[in-house]
Amino acid sequence: MPKVVKTTINVEGRVSEQFAIVEGAELPPWGEHEELGIVGYPAPRIDGAARVSGEARYTYDVQLPGMVYGRLVRAKQASAKITRIDVRKAKAVRGVVDVMTYENVPDIEMSGRQTRLLSDDVRFAGQTIAVVVAVDPYVAADAAALIEVEYAERPLVADPEAALAADAVKVQPDKPNNLLNGKPRIKERGDVAAGFAAADEIAAVTVRTPTALHNAFETHGCVAHWEGDQLTIYESTQHTFGVREFAAKKLELPMSKVRAVSTFMGGGFGAKFPGSAYTLIAATTAKRLRRPVHLMYDREGENLETGNRGQTLQQVKIGARRDGTLTAIEYSGISEGGAAMGWLPMLEGPASMMYRCPNFRSETSGVLTNLGPMAAFRAPGFVEGMVGLEAAMDELAHKLGMDPLELRRKNIPDTDQLEEKPFSSLPLDECYTRGAAAIGWERRSQPGSQSDGRYRRGIGMASQIWWGGGGPPAYAEMLLNSDGTATVMTGTQDLGTGTRTILAQVAAEELGLPLEQVNVTVGDTLQGPFGPASGGSVTTGSMTPAVRSAANDLRNNLCDIVAQMRDIPQNEIEIRGGMIYRRDQELASVREIMRKLGDVMLQGTGSRGPNPDDVSVVTSGAQFAEVEVDTVTGLVRVLKIVAAHDSGRIMNPQTFNSQIYGGIIQGMGLALTEQRIVDTERGAVLNPNLEFYKLPTIADVPQIENILIDIPDTKANSTGAKGAGEPGIIPTAAAIANAVADALGVRVGTLPITPPRVLEALDAQ
Amino acid sequence: MQPFIHIDVANSEEVIPLLDARSRPLAGGTDMLPLMKEGIVAPERLINIKRAGDLRYIRADEDGLHIGALTTLDELDRHPDVRRDYTTLAQAAAEAASPQLRNMATLGGNLLQQARCWYYRGDFHCWLKGGELCHARDGRNEYHAIFDQSPCVAVYPSDPPAALMALEANLRIVGPQGARLVPVAEFLQPPSAERRTLHTLAPNELIVEVHVPKGPSGSVYLKAMDRATWAYALASVAVAANIRDGRAHNVRIVLGAVSNRPIRALAAEELVEGQLITPELARRAGETALAAARALEHNHYKLPLTRNLVAQALRDIMAG
Repeated sequence: MPKVVKTTINVEGRVSEQFAIVEGAELPPWGEHEELGIVGYPAPRIDGAARVSGEARYTYDVQLPGMVYGRLVRAKQASAKITRIDVRKAKAVRGVVDVMTYENVPDIEMSGRQTRLLSDDVRFAGQTIAVVVAVDPYVAADAAALIEVEYAERPLVADPEAALAADAVKVQPDKPNNLLNGKPRIKERGDVAAGFAAADEIAAVTVRTPTALHNAFETHGCVAHWEGDQLTIYESTQHTFGVREFAAKKLELPMSKVRAVSTFMGGGFGAKFPGSAYTLIAATTAKRLRRPVHLMYDREGENLETGNRGQTLQQVKIGARRDGTLTAIEYSGISEGGAAMGWLPMLEGPASMMYRCPNFRSETSGVLTNLGPMAAFRAPGFVEGMVGLEAAMDELAHKLGMDPLELRRKNIPDTDQLEEKPFSSLPLDECYTRGAAAIGWERRSQPGSQSDGRYRRGIGMASQIWWGGGGPPAYAEMLLNSDGTATVMTGTQDLGTGTRTILAQVAAEELGLPLEQVNVTVGDTLQGPFGPASGGSVTTGSMTPAVRSAANDLRNNLCDIVAQMRDIPQNEIEIRGGMIYRRDQELASVREIMRKLGDVMLQGTGSRGPNPDDVSVVTSGAQFAEVEVDTVTGLVRVLKIVAAHDSGRIMNPQTFNSQIYGGIIQGMGLALTEQRIVDTERGAVLNPNLEFYKLPTIADVPQIENILIDIPDTKANSTGAKGAGEPGIIPTAAAIANAVADALGVRVGTLPITPPRVLEALDAQ
Repeated sequence: MQPFIHIDVANSEEVIPLLDARSRPLAGGTDMLPLMKEGIVAPERLINIKRAGDLRYIRADEDGLHIGALTTLDELDRHPDVRRDYTTLAQAAAEAASPQLRNMATLGGNLLQQARCWYYRGDFHCWLKGGELCHARDGRNEYHAIFDQSPCVAVYPSDPPAALMALEANLRIVGPQGARLVPVAEFLQPPSAERRTLHTLAPNELIVEVHVPKGPSGSVYLKAMDRATWAYALASVAVAANIRDGRAHNVRIVLGAVSNRPIRALAAEELVEGQLITPELARRAGETALAAARALEHNHYKLPLTRNLVAQALRDIMAG
């Protein structure tokens, strides 16, 4: 009998109450020392071969009979009103079937990043102002170049610090000070002034982090296809059910008539939540033309329009008593939001919750500019905020004459200071101890002491805290086929993180089948029940309990059937490795039983239960970096990163490692090489490409040692697992920046720490 | 993209009659195709010379090194004679681009590579593209010139040509009037109002061979990048010298990625000529080499960087 329960969910620090429908009794969690046979063991991705062989079909690869290709046309001005847009030459190109501009696109009201599907009001260079549709993408590109646009130019501001000036140009007419919500966000607990007065030492730092571009392998886009009044949207998305809801609402369609599909996905990193104009442009155009429409961004458009991690300027001040006990933290920061900003990332998150401190105050602002809008980017706010906090912690340790790791260990929080609840689990001390041993922390020098010769080495570290517990609603269904194979069906999606594989492991474990006998269907709203958006590292914590619950339901149904067929008590039946036992006596294989039943199909349904009320579920950890700085060229080379993260039970060490490695490499990019470069006078992004936007190459990747902490969080949910998508990136840039400061004896406060900045710092020494 | 005719040729002789202002030779295509896709060049005819087998060779003899223009950067880097006797060239080829690009990119094409300036490659009708204004001069110029030689401040991007200049290499260029031999140092020239390119090849000419005279006893190429690989130089230095009795003779110092063309550091060469190069002298040579350099708004770092590279290269060459 399903019950409705109300539970609290924390996604990226945004706490909400959710209704959850819970089917049947909540399963007791797998115990901390429970012997499992499949979950927790390394398993290659079940879709790995398809992904690397090119068999996997991504949104970009979708081909349908009669399909036409859209080309997005970008504004070249950063702030202007379009006075004339002439598409006649483009329309005259053979093979062009349609051109949309603000003059003829359906009038659908949008929220967030766009106010209309296409507009004559240009607020950043790269804004989509037209879409050309043609029989192939090359014809569309050629025709797009023939569109004539006249602009009435307006003044612009393309630098967040300049946008704060009293006489700055207004990016949005209703935001007189270019601030999101018109004012800073202030958070406060205790008495900061009293805290600083009680401090023996105070450290203050100013740091800057760059605007970083997501650069997922697969760009944004979709294919829209109508069959009668049924709309199918193939989309590269982090939330299939969100695409369905968005399209149904905006196009005024019943949800039952809309299907969203994202079978394989080439990464999102936070920028691919539903709600963008291109989905609706593709859907409405496909309907009008009666042909499927393929509409994908190219790399340049992707890097100009679909989102970024906004640059920050942060000031952090921390006070402590002689023994290292923190007495006050004051944090202020701005985050660039571009021409549209839906929300302000939680820059102050790390400063407010990483370390125990009774007196805290933060003031953070989102600043609008005439540049491409921000979007969530893998642990938004926390990556940036950790750089500021951990720089200040190292400076404080230096002032106290204390080992920086010891200072952190001394201030491990005993409760979640935001939620005022104890943590379900926070094995930070273990992460510190094991990480320090692996990097050889005792080798760390006094800052600047290793200053002889061409190369200087340094070691630094930083901590991590984040959510990632997930929660309801999340559902799964299972089928047991007549050949003894099982299918897991859920509408969640696999962004490339390995979700499919760990769901198969959970189902096989609970059901007692070998892993090869379980297949998983994800990424299709018609082939499985609701799954949550894959953001905030929630997919594992939300979906694995739901799948376990469905597998358990199916297992109970199978045991019931066997009990009836063999006339034995149900509670004496066990299923292991695809075989059915009565106590230790082998009865038959699952396959034999199912064959006997002919076309009978056994089903199981499951759902994610509520979150615990009395504890706060977080992930935590630490990373340690060793770097070598070439004083001739200024190039920083990372020699080694040691990572130690708590994500509860590790479902699959292989996919877990991949997540941590990927986070570290992306974090290293922010620390050393990646930055959007803007000509602020012209409002032009100069490197929306992979030539001058410098992602780390494989030659930049250091030795990475990922220590598996692997402590099941039995209070969190029935599998004890928490997310791993974001934790890996959170401390990397902060740890590298601290290691470089250790090597140089001087802090490069502006990231990325490029050769120019290193050489300037050395020059100043 | 503008429509074009693609013509295959089997050897170098067939190429010349087909070349004119409306056509371009296509070798590795690693620069030509992106230039065409971006609409920066729009030839009506693309003469595919990839199959001209007579242009792809490396021959080392008494006379020095003869390199066919279609030799790839990868072949250059792997050749044992080049590695041993013309080290700076092998190193420059090895440091260029990525393995995939080096497999395709030819030495002839590399000499002709156009500026990688983001305004030139972007949506700006800049001076080098025939416009009025160098946008980088008052815009973002962290990758740009510290020796000002023309209205344009883009730097010459290729690595091997700086090494070729240090080795005093010549180019054999064929045109309708026959062949001419021109030093790399003269071939690469700052752009002018009439010629908005970083080289002096006429539209009806083709580079067919690079000739490097018998190499000096030592040479080195140092390249600074802002990541481990696959980046254009922030600055580079090619040095060649004969080391006899612990002293450096016939020293050639060439600075790359600091101007519209690689620059010979003549005063620095003079300073170290015939000398025992101590670390202190190497440092002074670096300062001398950069004495005339002037930074733009965002590239001050190039002064210490290039100084450091000169000093390091001289120390390396003395260390053998």
